[in-house]
Amino acid sequence: MICFDNVSFKYSKEQECLKNINLTVNDGDVILVCGPSGCGKSTLVRCVNGLIPHFYQGELTGKVTVNGTDISQTTLRKISRHVGTVFQNPRSQFFNVDTTSELAFGCENFGLSPDDIEQRINKTVNRHDLESLMGRSIFKLSGGEKQKIACASIAVEPVDVIILDEPSANLDYKGICELQKMLKAWIEERKTILIAEHRISYLLPFITGSVLMNSGEIVKEYSAEEFRSLSEEELHNLGLRAEMVQDPAEINDCTGEDSDKKDKLILTDMKYSYQKEPPVFDIPKMEIPEGEIVGIVGANGAGKSTFLRCLCGMERKCKADPKVKYESWNNKARRRKIYMVMQDVNHQLFTDSVLEEVMISQESENKEEALKILESLDLKEFAGKHPLALSGGQKQRVAVASAIASGRDIILFDEPTSGLDYYHMNQVADILKELKQMGKTVIIVTHDVELIKNACTYIIRFDEYSRS
Amino acid sequence: MEYRLDRNVHSLLDPRTKLLLLLTSSIFVVGNAGEKQMYVFYWILVFLPVVLLFAEKEWKAGLIAIVIYIGSYYAQMALQHDLTAVESALALMLYIITKILPTVILARYIVKTTKVSEFLTAMNRLRFSDKFTIPISVIFRFFPTVVEESRAINDAMRMRGIEMGAKKASEAVEYRMIPLIASCSIIGEELSAAAMTRGLDVGKNRSCIWIIKFRIPDYLVITLCFACFVWWIIGRFFV
Repeated sequence: MICFDNVSFKYSKEQECLKNINLTVNDGDVILVCGPSGCGKSTLVRCVNGLIPHFYQGELTGKVTVNGTDISQTTLRKISRHVGTVFQNPRSQFFNVDTTSELAFGCENFGLSPDDIEQRINKTVNRHDLESLMGRSIFKLSGGEKQKIACASIAVEPVDVIILDEPSANLDYKGICELQKMLKAWIEERKTILIAEHRISYLLPFITGSVLMNSGEIVKEYSAEEFRSLSEEELHNLGLRAEMVQDPAEINDCTGEDSDKKDKLILTDMKYSYQKEPPVFDIPKMEIPEGEIVGIVGANGAGKSTFLRCLCGMERKCKADPKVKYESWNNKARRRKIYMVMQDVNHQLFTDSVLEEVMISQESENKEEALKILESLDLKEFAGKHPLALSGGQKQRVAVASAIASGRDIILFDEPTSGLDYYHMNQVADILKELKQMGKTVIIVTHDVELIKNACTYIIRFDEYSRS
Repeated sequence: MEYRLDRNVHSLLDPRTKLLLLLTSSIFVVGNAGEKQMYVFYWILVFLPVVLLFAEKEWKAGLIAIVIYIGSYYAQMALQHDLTAVESALALMLYIITKILPTVILARYIVKTTKVSEFLTAMNRLRFSDKFTIPISVIFRFFPTVVEESRAINDAMRMRGIEMGAKKASEAVEYRMIPLIASCSIIGEELSAAAMTRGLDVGKNRSCIWIIKFRIPDYLVITLCFACFVWWIIGRFFV
């Protein structure tokens, strides 16, 4: 049983992230903690796994107990025997390099006997069908596979409370289905589960209750029935994503009205393969209409992200010369004419102010022009700030500002909305529409069904070009 | 087919042997201790890392290493007398390569083939405190992370036209370091948080699923390392 008794918390000096939280989660409950970004849901679950106050320091008042033990009076190591956590970012939650060791890691730390651990691993691997993932380097796994290993390594441990902190943020349709299977198994084992999340539809069949948070407070507690009966509009008003779990391949076409008349970017004979393996994708001919927001959809591992990298000329091995208005562009030309906003925008911000970040992308530096671009993206007030001090959404807008400043006509986005709540997803959709207004061609690789419905004016199905 | 964990998966050498070999190689190859007297041992230590690469079936890396080594060795031998300033700088560089390359290959081999958990257990058996070994063990995890991150950053730079020989070439290095440090420190913090929620802590007994023991190759390498030290001491103090 998890018990919050009048808990408030603030990270040093900031405003309170949790205010007077009172909550009881009974054994075997599956509780969804939801709310828009920054509502405090991640902070709340950190109080249960002990990262607050043992790792993230701050001012904690009130009392959190798990099975009667006061979290702040014990150690992280003791808490970890009862509480297991799956984090949002699969890139940074593994301590080991090989998957098998990662599965064993928690039990090894508890000092369980090797024979016992061996049996636990065998049981988990067979139950969840993980054999093909064993003994591999985590650096060679896809995002979905990593999250599966993260869940499995908690499943190996003898914990009775499981915390999931936005586990679906980096998952596509197939990854979410795998996550659902894992949840089902945990529920059969009567684990107590607490999930912080704003994508909710995939969780609806499992929950026994839900807690809605906003600015650090619990706004409302729902029973499972009440919560399931909320309409799409009501969910959106609460800042939540309402999208149904849907295979992106089943989305209906939403071709722009007069895309036939437009100029087209024509790709012919474009393929890519790793070393001697068969090609990841093979495109005999693909036509991309200019001036549209083009969504590229397809199953997990279909090579969509690799396609974007090839398209903007980053993969040297990809020898394609797409024709644009009868002009052929080689890799180098494409690196000059196409701009990509990466999934992890941290990789593409490197100067010490937002303004400089934009100016460096211009052909010739022009401060007025740069400020105008910043203004159009509501970034003017941040012009002097360090890009890495901004929030995730602001960073992404800075990357878009650089793309506009570069004057390039084709802008690619790799998963621009992963991990975003409804409000921020809409904000991204608005930016995409604005780019279209400017006459840019926008090409997005995404598994976000709501974004596709909201913004895309043309859909390209990638599966037919893909090996898998 | 039912999956069964094989706990006896291991690389050719035990982590303890690897570290002893690294120490020996640093002293006698990089440090050149004993000089002429160590002639035979020197050459064994120079080529042993390549043998280890071959044992891991890294044929290509092994062959490249041999070519680079022999190439710089002979080039450096050829550049011995009457050198211009540029030539002597080149000779010095080649000499440094021949000195450190074998040890660098060995270090890379160790990082690539040692499991974190294996390392922690092996060091614990040598009575090293885990206050010391846990931070070091993160290296195994962090090397590939840094490589992965710098690749992504490099791509971003090329796309924005900031590369060697293009605009802003002078800032290119600085621009690369900022995002690299930023993202590595974020990953580092998240990594420690995740490891602690899984019970990693100092001063506690931890078990290990991997079977860690000295095997025949270990005894051979350990004998070699001790022979190096004994031969060196004999030469220094008794002859």
